[in-house]
Amino acid sequence: MKSRFTIPALAAAIVSTTGLLAGPAFAGNANTAPSLTVEVAVSSNASEVIKTLANEAIIGLTDQSLSNDTRRQNFVALMDRYFAMDVISRFVLGRYWRSISEEELNEFADLLQDYLALNYASQFKDFNGEQFVVGDEKQQNKDTFVNSQFVRPDGPPVSIIWRLREFGDDYKIIDVTVEGLSMGITQRDEFTAVIQKNGGKVSALTENLREKVGK
Amino acid sequence: MKLRTLLSLCAGASLSMLTACASTQPAQDMSDYDPIEPVNRVVHGVNGAVDFMVLYPAAMWYRDIAPQPVKTAVRSFVRNIGEPVNALNSLLQGEPDQAADTVQRFIMNTTIGFLGFNDVAADFGIEYHSEDFGQTLGHYGIGGGPYIVLPLLGPSNLRDTTGIAVDYVANPMTWGSRNSDTLDNLYLGSLALTALDARYRTLNQLNELQQTSIDYYAALRSLYRQQRNAAIRNGADPSAPNFEDESASADFDDAFEAAAN
Repeated sequence: MKSRFTIPALAAAIVSTTGLLAGPAFAGNANTAPSLTVEVAVSSNASEVIKTLANEAIIGLTDQSLSNDTRRQNFVALMDRYFAMDVISRFVLGRYWRSISEEELNEFADLLQDYLALNYASQFKDFNGEQFVVGDEKQQNKDTFVNSQFVRPDGPPVSIIWRLREFGDDYKIIDVTVEGLSMGITQRDEFTAVIQKNGGKVSALTENLREKVGK
Repeated sequence: MKLRTLLSLCAGASLSMLTACASTQPAQDMSDYDPIEPVNRVVHGVNGAVDFMVLYPAAMWYRDIAPQPVKTAVRSFVRNIGEPVNALNSLLQGEPDQAADTVQRFIMNTTIGFLGFNDVAADFGIEYHSEDFGQTLGHYGIGGGPYIVLPLLGPSNLRDTTGIAVDYVANPMTWGSRNSDTLDNLYLGSLALTALDARYRTLNQLNELQQTSIDYYAALRSLYRQQRNAAIRNGADPSAPNFEDESASADFDDAFEAAAN
């Protein structure tokens, strides 16, 4: 099929070919598979982190009896443990993080977590038959990229690449790329557009986020 | 057809602007350049309305009514119609093996695959590749240029809009359909099916994006850019880390240092 003609539905095709939104979705999927986490490559620090995360997500998020609130709380807890949320928060604010106080930044980080949990935690609810396969890892400059695949029973596997950086003694996740689409970059591009539209005021964005998460 | 005239016009106008900025590396667009954003947002809004009234309900109906084998056949058919263009662009990108595969797929699927409704070539392990002229331009180092939201067609940029026009002109169906009513109907039908299939496959994702995003337009723009970048570098080892977005790297370093202190 010839790509652009396929898009008549607005962005449709674009998004379609990839799994884009799926980003977090996978994260979801990945872990959800009540089935198992298959280990493919050498175990080393960074990929070990991803495997542990996957296992904890299966335990904490996929149980169907969980209430939405609990699932969201568990999601936030996982982010706290495995993601460098302070780095991510600054990153998604683009250059605007410098214009706000530490306090506002912390407030934003909390809102961001709630927002992500709201958007993605529920996606862990209904998965089965999927497998999350952790592959090799590659070092590139300061970061370690861990390849993984989310294997679905119907349809081609989805490639997920985790970007981690050493933070103190730990590896922490700073970005997730799904089929070539980076969650961090997408969020940054969207958030900075909102800030820009509002005369460079980060508070406009936090206001929007607060509304979304109902706080 | 008005659309045809419009596309040829776009092609002429934009090709000349594009060739000015070619380099030898595959083009990676790092940020959203959107000088006509107000216009784009209006077109985006109109597209959304048309989608809501026409394509979205059609896609919902298709999802609920059509059995899976029908959907698979439709998907395979619309892909097959585009194979000559895929082959041509593979060739232009210096991928003769991939072009040969695509030609082989086209011949097998069009004949024993009943006009492409059966992807028999896939059963023989011949892989599908989607290449368009926008990707070919990107392959030779031409950046995306300004972001453009096309009426009905949606997100694009100057480079990819040019690509659409060139692919349109290069497509044998375009010329064949001028001389044959049967081909013309087949072509128009395939375009409609392509739209339906594309919309059906994005139902969940777009719904979700619309619900979760704060600025749907900006999110879509970012995703379009990233998705095209990913399509252009398709030759790369799929397991390799993605081509670095340099601006992102700098932002990460910046954020990281601040957080570490």
